[in-house]
Amino acid sequence: MTHRTLHISGVTRRFGSKTAVDNVTLDIAPGQFVGIIGSSGAGKSTLLRLLNRMVEPSSGEIRFGHREVTKLKARALREWRRECAMIFQQFNLIERLDVLTNVLVGRIAAHGFASSMVMRFSDAERQMAIEALDRLGMTEHALQRAGTLSGGQQQRVAIARALVQKPQIMLADEPIASLDPGNATRVMDALRSINREDGLTVLVNLHTLDTAREYCDRIVAMRTGRIVFDGVAGQLTREVVRDIYGGAGTDEFNEAITSTRLPLPELALA
Amino acid sequence: MSVSAKSDADFRAVARRKLLAELRPAPAVVAKRYLLSGGFLGLFCFCLWSFDFSPARTTTGVGRLGHVLSFMFPPHIWTNWASFQPVLEGLCQTLAMAFLGTLLGAAVAFPLSFLGAKNINRYGIFRQGMRRGFDFIRTFETLVLALIFIRAFGLGPLAGVLAIAVSEVGNLAKLFSEAIENTSKKPVEGVRAAGGSRLQEIRYGVLPQASPVILSIILYTFESNTRTGTILGVVGAGGIGFLLADRISAYRWDEAWSIIFLIVVMVYLIDSLSAKLRALLIGGWEGGK
Repeated sequence: MTHRTLHISGVTRRFGSKTAVDNVTLDIAPGQFVGIIGSSGAGKSTLLRLLNRMVEPSSGEIRFGHREVTKLKARALREWRRECAMIFQQFNLIERLDVLTNVLVGRIAAHGFASSMVMRFSDAERQMAIEALDRLGMTEHALQRAGTLSGGQQQRVAIARALVQKPQIMLADEPIASLDPGNATRVMDALRSINREDGLTVLVNLHTLDTAREYCDRIVAMRTGRIVFDGVAGQLTREVVRDIYGGAGTDEFNEAITSTRLPLPELALA
Repeated sequence: MSVSAKSDADFRAVARRKLLAELRPAPAVVAKRYLLSGGFLGLFCFCLWSFDFSPARTTTGVGRLGHVLSFMFPPHIWTNWASFQPVLEGLCQTLAMAFLGTLLGAAVAFPLSFLGAKNINRYGIFRQGMRRGFDFIRTFETLVLALIFIRAFGLGPLAGVLAIAVSEVGNLAKLFSEAIENTSKKPVEGVRAAGGSRLQEIRYGVLPQASPVILSIILYTFESNTRTGTILGVVGAGGIGFLLADRISAYRWDEAWSIIFLIVVMVYLIDSLSAKLRALLIGGWEGGK
C-alpha cells in the first residue's frame, strides 16, 4: 500500500514576501479522510493546490509512492491531475454547458486534439458519467444547463466530474463553504461514501470544526502556513482550538455558530 | 424638556447652515465652470460661422429640400419586372456583400483575437503588438478601403466585400478579444484540475462563455454592414447604392425615393431580426458549445 502514500516533505510556497505555506511535512496514508482546518489565510487552499500543481512550490518535494509529483511535466502532470481530482468552493463548472458535458470534462485528460475540439465522447464515457450522476442523485438533471442548478446541485455535479476522472485522491477546497446546511451535509456524505466505498484518499479544507470532527479520520490544523496540529478529533480540545484560531475572544468560541448540523432530526436523517 | 428641545432645533439649524456653506462651490471652481462653458459656446459659434450657417442659406436650403421631397409624391411604382429586377438585385447584392464581408472578416478575426486576449496570450509585448495592429486596421474607414480596392479589383461587389471584410478584421478582432478576456477564470481552473491541456482549457472553459457574445457581435456587425453596404455602391463598389446614385444623377427623384424607401425597409427588417436573434443568443440559449 505504500506506493499510494502521499508524502509532502518540506514544502514551502511564497507569494512575494508572504509565505503562504511554510515548510510543511505530512504523510497521507491511502484511504484516509483528512480534514485541514485553520482560519482564513492560514494556507489551507495553497497547500491543496500545491498537491495537484495548480500552484508550484517554491521549495520542497511532493511524492506519491515513488512518483515525484513536483517534477512532473506536460502529459505526466495532466495525468497526475486526473489522478487527484479537485472540487472547489465555487464549483468551477462550465455554466453554459449541460451537466453531462460538465461531468465528461473529467475524461478529457485521455482525449486528443480532434475529439476535444468537437467535444466528442465515447458511449462508454457517457455511461460512466451517467453512473456517476446517478450515484449523486443528479441523473434527472443530466441535460440541464449547469448554471441553472442550485449551489448544492452544482457541487454534486462537480463531484461526479471528479469521480469520472477515476482518481486515487480527492482534493476538496472548502467544498461546503457556500452551501446551506442541508446541502453541506449531502456533499460531505457524498465525500464520505466515496472515501469508504471506493477507498479514495480524501483531503478536505474545512471552515467548520464540527464538520471536521464528524467526518474526518484525521485532522490537520494550519496557522500562518505551518502545521500546528495533527491528530484525531478527540485530541482537538478547547485549548488546542484556541491555539489554532489564535487571539482574543476565542474563550467564547462557539462551534454551533458555524455548524452544518441540521436542527431538525427528520431532515438530518434524509 | 421643551427648552432642551428648542436648543436642539437651534443647534441643528446652525449645523445645516454650516453644511450648506461648505457644500457651496469655491469661487475658483465657479469661474472655471463659466470659462469652460464660454469656451464651448465660442467653439460652437466659430464652427457655425466657418461653415457659413447663415439663416438665409438655411432657409433657402430647407425650401429646396421641400421641393426635392415633393418628388416623392406620387411614389414611383415599378410596373414591369424588367425595371424592378435590377432594384431587387441591387438590394440582394448589398445584403450578400454585408453577409460575405462580415463572415470573411470574422473568419480572419477569430483566430487573431485569441492572440490579443490577456488570458490567452501571456506574452505582453506580442499581445500589445496584436492590439495595436487591430487598432491600425480599424482606422481605415470602409469607404476609404472601397475606393482603394476599386482601383485594384475593378468596379463591382468584390471590392465592396473586401472593403467590409478588411475593415471588420480590426474591429471584430478587438471586440472578440474583449469578449474572450471577459470570461470567468473558474471554469478554466476546473478544466485544468481535471487534467486538461491549454487548448482544452480554451475549448471547454473559455469558448462556451465567449461564443454567444462573439456570435452576437457578428450579428450586430452584419446589421451595421447592411447600412454601410448601401453607401459603398455610391462609389461603385456594388450593391443598391450604385442604382441610387445613378437615379439621383439622372434627376429621376421619384424612383430614387422609392429605392431609399426600400433600403430603409430592408435595414429595418435586418435590424429587428438580428436584435431578436441576439436576445436569444445572450439569453437561455442551449447551443453554447
